[in-house]
Amino acid sequence: MGHARHFVRLFGLVAIVVIAFLGARAQVVPKDFGTQGPFRASAIPEAAKREPRHLGSEACSDCHAKINDAWAKGKHHTPQCENCHGPGLLHVKVMSEDSVDAYPDQIKKNPKALRVTSGIQECEWCHLKTFERPSTLKSIKNVERHIIETGGKYTAASKCTDCHNPHTTVVK
Amino acid sequence: MTQPLSDGDLTRRSFLERVATTGAQTFIFGGLFVTTALMRLPQDATPGTTPAKRKKRAPEVIYGFVVDTTKCIGCGSCVRACKAENNVPDGFCRTWVEEYTFYPNGEVVVNSPKGGENGFPDDAPDRNQPAEIGQLPSRGFFVPKLCNHCIDTPCIQVCPVGASYKTPEGVVLVDPQRCVGCGYCVQACPFGSRFLNPETNTADKCTWCYHRITKGLKPACVECCPAEARIFGNVNDPNSEISRILATNRVQVLKSYLGTNPRTRYIGLDSDVI
Ligand code: HEC
Ligand code: HEC
Ligand code: HEC
Ligand code: HEC
Repeated sequence: MGHARHFVRLFGLVAIVVIAFLGARAQVVPKDFGTQGPFRASAIPEAAKREPRHLGSEACSDCHAKINDAWAKGKHHTPQCENCHGPGLLHVKVMSEDSVDAYPDQIKKNPKALRVTSGIQECEWCHLKTFERPSTLKSIKNVERHIIETGGKYTAASKCTDCHNPHTTVVK
Repeated sequence: MTQPLSDGDLTRRSFLERVATTGAQTFIFGGLFVTTALMRLPQDATPGTTPAKRKKRAPEVIYGFVVDTTKCIGCGSCVRACKAENNVPDGFCRTWVEEYTFYPNGEVVVNSPKGGENGFPDDAPDRNQPAEIGQLPSRGFFVPKLCNHCIDTPCIQVCPVGASYKTPEGVVLVDPQRCVGCGYCVQACPFGSRFLNPETNTADKCTWCYHRITKGLKPACVECCPAEARIFGNVNDPNSEISRILATNRVQVLKSYLGTNPRTRYIGLDSDVI
């Protein structure tokens, strides 16, 4: 008998350490870790859950039928509504409700919840001719020159929308 | 430690020493054995598995992305759409546009102010100024960049906590709950597609708008591109637009020599594009 208890103690100690390790591991490693690969499997549905913020131009047609029709029939149907106006999710949500009380201050200050259009910056993003830009769409080389050449009077406050309808490009 | 194990010689001291070494050895090797046995997890479906297994798990949808650099007009619509859709903090981009300008003396200038968020200024020298003739750029183009969603990802390999992963559709994502923000993946990515988000303190990257594509929508950048320079779809579906484009175009990937096997492919890529 004698020394057997040393071994009992030894293996007992080892067993405790192994159990403690496994226990700690079970605590810190999520249950679904490794079921589909070396990652947490429920991260995939979590990543897919978020709500899309860009709704597409069809989402605007119910309430803005006139503009949407003109846009769809005109020459400017390639840029989408949200290209110039920013993502529409919040706008549609806010506009579908009666008041903005439930929304944060940011929206109370900007109750349309859209990007503010300047009527010139948006146009320049796509239409200003730069050396690197391919000539696939009609562009203007110089804002001032374009406005003067087309019979306008250029001032610092000049906008493209002074003459062009942004939704159809038609000159007023 | 060469004493024979006999009752008489075994002192308390040497017994304790032996217990300590044996215990430590058992702990280390036993622990290693147990952990490796537990961690023998199913590996990624694409490389390394046997053909039978791969076939069994082959998903119906594998997404792909094509960037047509010949069509890009550098308007930055994709950058703005991406930032708004994914709440990307100021100063960072999940997708961005680079402007390449080539000069006759061999100089190449790459420009990307704020990732192209506000478009690109007309900064080429005036062709009508005699003093600048000779320094006029000879050619130029735009190259939109985004995560390449590589098949053999360096970024997933280096993640110490299993926070970077690939979905069955081939999309490389970050699990913000597990990410500890160590930044290994940011350094491992040879394309600079990842960054540490200062708001969440986790790694952040292009997800191909996973929350949109799983609902049947296109990624925000594809949706907003006015030049059809970005094409996204299911490459396993022979009738999809992307399959048609891949079948009728000569495509290339960025930094093919690194062997990361990107799923984002480029049309009209120049050898000077890095
Ligand atoms: C639920 C109906 C509804 C939908 C859907 C909707 N809107 Fe509106 N929108 C409104 C209302 C109401 C106004 C306010 C009109 C007013 O005050 O004259 C408005 C105003 C606007 C304005 C003018 C903002 C300003 O500052 O004057 C813009 C631009 C606009 N919407 C764009 C959009 C776009 C783009 C979409 C598609 C994503 C969209 N809307 C979808 C109801 C809607
Ligand atoms: C090319 C950029 C552009 C696109 C694309 C665009 N808009 Fe606009 N939109 C503007 C600008 C600029 C204004 C401000 C016009 C002004 O100041 O006269 C505006 C104004 C508006 C207004 C409020 C003023 C009004 O005329 O009633 C509404 C509503 C609107 N847009 C809806 C839409 C919808 C819906 C679409 C998609 C079918 C769309 N827009 C697409 C640039 C754009
Ligand atoms: C997101 C890019 C984009 C923005 C922003 C944009 N456009 Fe356009 N625009 C286009 C495209 C693309 C076409 C060509 C449409 C086509 O051929 O289908 C075009 C065409 C035009 C044309 C020529 C139409 C013709 O006669 O063929 C004019 C004029 C024009 N846009 C004016 C404007 C003005 C003014 C603004 C600012 C309110 C603006 N655009 C903003 C992309 C844009
Ligand atoms: C003074 C009024 C006026 C202003 C302001 C104006 N335009 Fe024009 N624009 C015109 C006229 C007129 C045309 C010629 C229309 C036509 O030929 O159908 C034109 C044509 C265009 C074209 C087509 C060019 C082509 O080659 O056919 C583009 C693109 C354009 N404008 C963009 C803009 C942009 C961008 C702005 C703002 C920086 C702007 N315009 C401001 C009057 C104006």
